[in-house]
Amino acid sequence: MTVRPASLPSAQAEIALPPARSPAAIALRRGLSHGGFLIGAGIVGLVVLTALAAPLVAPHDPYAQDVSRRLIPPIWHAKGSVEHLLGTDKLGRDYLSRLIYGSQISLLIGLSAALISGAIGTTLGVLAGYYGGRVDAVVSYVVTTRLALPVVLVALAMASLVGGSLKVVVLVLGFLLWDRFAVVTRAATRQVRAQDFVAAAKAAGFSPVRILAQEILPNILNALIVVATLEMAHAILLEAALSFLGLGVQPPLPSWGLMIAEGKPYMFFQPWVITIPGVALLILVLGINLLGDGVRDITAPEGRH
Amino acid sequence: MLGFAVRRILVAVGVALTVSVASFLLLHLSGDLATAIAGPEATGEQIAAIRVQHGLDQPLVVQFGTWAWHALQFDFGRSFYFPEQVTDLLASRLPVTLTLGVIALAVALLVAIPLGVVAAFHRDTWIDRTALAVSVLGQAMPSFWFGLTLILIFSVNLRWLPVSGNATWKHFILPAVALGYYAMPAVMRLTRNGMLEVLSSDYVRTARAKGLPPRKILIRHALRNAVIPVIALAAVQFGFMLGGSIVIEAVFSLQGLGQLAWESIARNDFPVVQAIVLVLAMIYIGLTLAADLLNALLDPRLRS
Amino acid sequence: MPIRIEAGRVRTGHARMRRAGLALAGLLLAGVAGPALAGKANDTLVYASDSEPENLSPYHNNLREGVILARNVWDTLIDRDPKTGAHRPMLATAWTWVDPVTLDLTIREGVTFHNGDPLTPEDVAFTFNYVLTPEAKIVTKGNVDWMKSTEVTGPHSVRIHLKAPFPAALEYLSGPTPILPAAYFRRVGLDGFSKAPVGTGPYRIVSVESGKRVRMVRNDTYWPGSPIGKATIGKLEFRIIPDADSRMAELMTGGVDWIWRVPADQAEQLKADPTLTVLSAETMRVGYLQFDVAGRAQATSPLKDVRVRQAISYAIDRKAMVDNLARGGARVMNAVCFIEQFGCTEEGVPTYAYDPAKARALLKEAGYGNGFDIDLSAYRERDYAEAVIGYLRAVGIRAKLNYLRYAAFRDALRAGKTSIGYQTWGSFSINDVSAFTGIYFRGGEEDLARDPAVIADLQAGDTSTDPALRKAKYRQALTRIAAEAYALPMFSYPSNYAFSADLAFTAQTDEVPRFYAASWKK
Repeated sequence: MTVRPASLPSAQAEIALPPARSPAAIALRRGLSHGGFLIGAGIVGLVVLTALAAPLVAPHDPYAQDVSRRLIPPIWHAKGSVEHLLGTDKLGRDYLSRLIYGSQISLLIGLSAALISGAIGTTLGVLAGYYGGRVDAVVSYVVTTRLALPVVLVALAMASLVGGSLKVVVLVLGFLLWDRFAVVTRAATRQVRAQDFVAAAKAAGFSPVRILAQEILPNILNALIVVATLEMAHAILLEAALSFLGLGVQPPLPSWGLMIAEGKPYMFFQPWVITIPGVALLILVLGINLLGDGVRDITAPEGRH
Repeated sequence: MLGFAVRRILVAVGVALTVSVASFLLLHLSGDLATAIAGPEATGEQIAAIRVQHGLDQPLVVQFGTWAWHALQFDFGRSFYFPEQVTDLLASRLPVTLTLGVIALAVALLVAIPLGVVAAFHRDTWIDRTALAVSVLGQAMPSFWFGLTLILIFSVNLRWLPVSGNATWKHFILPAVALGYYAMPAVMRLTRNGMLEVLSSDYVRTARAKGLPPRKILIRHALRNAVIPVIALAAVQFGFMLGGSIVIEAVFSLQGLGQLAWESIARNDFPVVQAIVLVLAMIYIGLTLAADLLNALLDPRLRS
Repeated sequence: MPIRIEAGRVRTGHARMRRAGLALAGLLLAGVAGPALAGKANDTLVYASDSEPENLSPYHNNLREGVILARNVWDTLIDRDPKTGAHRPMLATAWTWVDPVTLDLTIREGVTFHNGDPLTPEDVAFTFNYVLTPEAKIVTKGNVDWMKSTEVTGPHSVRIHLKAPFPAALEYLSGPTPILPAAYFRRVGLDGFSKAPVGTGPYRIVSVESGKRVRMVRNDTYWPGSPIGKATIGKLEFRIIPDADSRMAELMTGGVDWIWRVPADQAEQLKADPTLTVLSAETMRVGYLQFDVAGRAQATSPLKDVRVRQAISYAIDRKAMVDNLARGGARVMNAVCFIEQFGCTEEGVPTYAYDPAKARALLKEAGYGNGFDIDLSAYRERDYAEAVIGYLRAVGIRAKLNYLRYAAFRDALRAGKTSIGYQTWGSFSINDVSAFTGIYFRGGEEDLARDPAVIADLQAGDTSTDPALRKAKYRQALTRIAAEAYALPMFSYPSNYAFSADLAFTAQTDEVPRFYAASWKK
């Protein structure tokens, strides 16, 4: 007998279970006719390409400063310069180049944090969902405890204790954002477990490890991908917030959140210094969210949710 | 119902205890407390004396017991930085954060519930899609950037609202919008989905067939039923908002709990940080407990 | 629902229940204190700054915000005319040197503290003797440790015994050594005093709201004949706004009347606003990089090698930083002090002009051809620190910024945990080099080099009464500090003030705004 607070996010989780084995062709057809998915995939694809090709596409060294060429406005301003399409920052560093290299940081943090939290959350969720009973009770308890901790505050405190850096931010976020993975995979595993082919595998005497790896995991993969996109977006926003508060990625790294923090003193008279990285963050996160929503819709049993 | 309530309360107490341990450990991980209390100029002897005086030479379990006993009486010790009791600091800052949270939640609900209802009524039309787009955009916007943009537009350019501080109710408008906006998408989606479910249910169809006016159906049947899960979500969101207000308070220089936490972290004032973590966690635990009990009372299906 | 503590009424004992009750009562009432209306119409001058002193007792914080409060709320024995530098009688009407280590002072009659207690020689003796005790745990030791003891010698006189001759004594008595009320302080203790401070100065503190504001009103019974005169503006309020942009926006929208330390770019923009006055003035504050010479933060620190420290010194284009970032009258400094302080000189002091090629060569010679990773801690003017990091990166040194609050920065520095510290020092506005080098190079807690030769020279300079000898000793010390590159002086800091155009305000180079001398324009 387990007690699960109804306020756990699963009560609101909108992630529908994918059909047992959805043919790739159907998914592809649905994907191509799903506007949000296409836009999301386009945005994410573009950002990934930019991040990978940063050294090729960035017009300047993102760290090269020239204090005599500070705060040049972007090209669409009267005083803009072709040499610096998005202008320069307070130390005369090329804003476009910093923005391009900044995408590497956002993606790196989003991916690594989602990987770590995904590993933790999925392990907990699958165990709880598969075994039920006591295991489920313990996992639910751990998730409830984790949800009670204020994420931003704990992340800030941890980062300050260890010292803010890219690695620390990834680890802290990875170890904090696993709750949704656990909740969703738990629910998904329970549903899959009740299906015939799992019962058949059990009857055939397969080991639990093998059942989990071969029968359960592949069937909850779509739900996992959806949560992973959400948590990637979440981690990217949190990194920006931590860096904005001075306890995330440290200068001179060109994190977008840090760029907003550094541009803040200039926002009243040079608003573009915070608008540009802010919009970049918005677009990337929007893209990831659209992609996630798209994947959910496409893999949902009755098509659009 | 009673059985459910007792079990649910037991879980809450257990979680509270676990969080307390975590928050206690946070303080102890922050470094040697005796050295911190003694200050940077203390001699080894003074530090040793303080260690004994504050019971820091005792086993960790004993220390936790003492600490928890004091914490139960709202005594979190002294701040390392200010010559004040942590409780006094919290008492002067908590109201600001709670006010911000309440207004932000009100903003979120007042916008999101009607939006969700309208979207459900006009399912799959441009209205529905716009509402959805707004909610997707809300989730993608970095809250601190949104806050800065609000300041830029409404305080500096239009000069309608003050920039920072918490002297009057006007000071709370922009931060509440910036904080509340982030909670809107979830509330809106939940209201919309709840409405859709209720609208397609038998009794609403019956009511429609009877020819009751749509407004009556909406208020008497649909909304009342759709709102139950929203209560639970609102409680959860309120808890998240208090935790997330740290960023908004920093942007708007609101001197609430979040700002205090941020500054205390920067000053290595961990007794304060620890107390804030604990207080926020307790508020969250209390809220979700209340929401669950309320939900169970309204919807017997949830009790199993 | 702010907790407000009126001066003189300090809550004592345990009030846990009440506190808990307060917290609950506050839940919905929220922080709706009466709005603090700034401006001429309300005769309230609201000034904003970023940091909150941890303790309002003038000896228990070393923040500039604390110095400002101290100057407006307390009086000192002697006053220094900011224009001429002459010492004028204040709480002491006269003073005489009995010998180089004995100073007799006559204490003024008819002065009362804000709580009504009369000022007596006992207050003076108590203040100085108390701050010298280790239990007082003051944070401004360097300002008082030249004194040995103070005794009451008559109904209106005190005698200060010095540890050794200290020619700058009068400078210190006219700045960072305000007089506290003995009886009140003994009664309420340091904590009580911090929450409800009492002084004799032109403004009286009426409420302290931790983290928010300190409210003051004019001391209408301020003693007549004070060289600084009675305050003109009725109410004064110090608002703590940690965020620089919020301060600026508050000023632009009329929420506060006065801000300072406005970055040069923004100051220029604010000049366009007709409702504001913008003022630039050089201050005594000098920024410098302090190196972990002893390798305390990191045993294998590259900074232990003088060539590395010299390379860093060559790598930074201080001139370009002055011209483009600091502006407004900033000057590159080559000796670690403010050039106009007594004893501060650049004569014969080695200088490091911008020369990245030489920096790279020195690094290579020291075995760091591929550069190295290092932490750089800073606590203000983040832009300057980031520019330094940019210059270091250009010669291969990968520095990571560790941006801290001052208290944390100071503690880390004292504990030997900083590799490169971006320091700034305003010398407590004391016009004598001892106020700079005495704190950072004379073997104290904040001395990261602890070079016996430098310490000996500084001690000789600080305790000699012969000006020529003092100058010679300081020059020798400053030369050695520069040659060994224990620290790299950056430049003097201009301060940009911006305030309501209604306000008549004059800035002084000592970086202490004198609000008692400000007035509203007619």
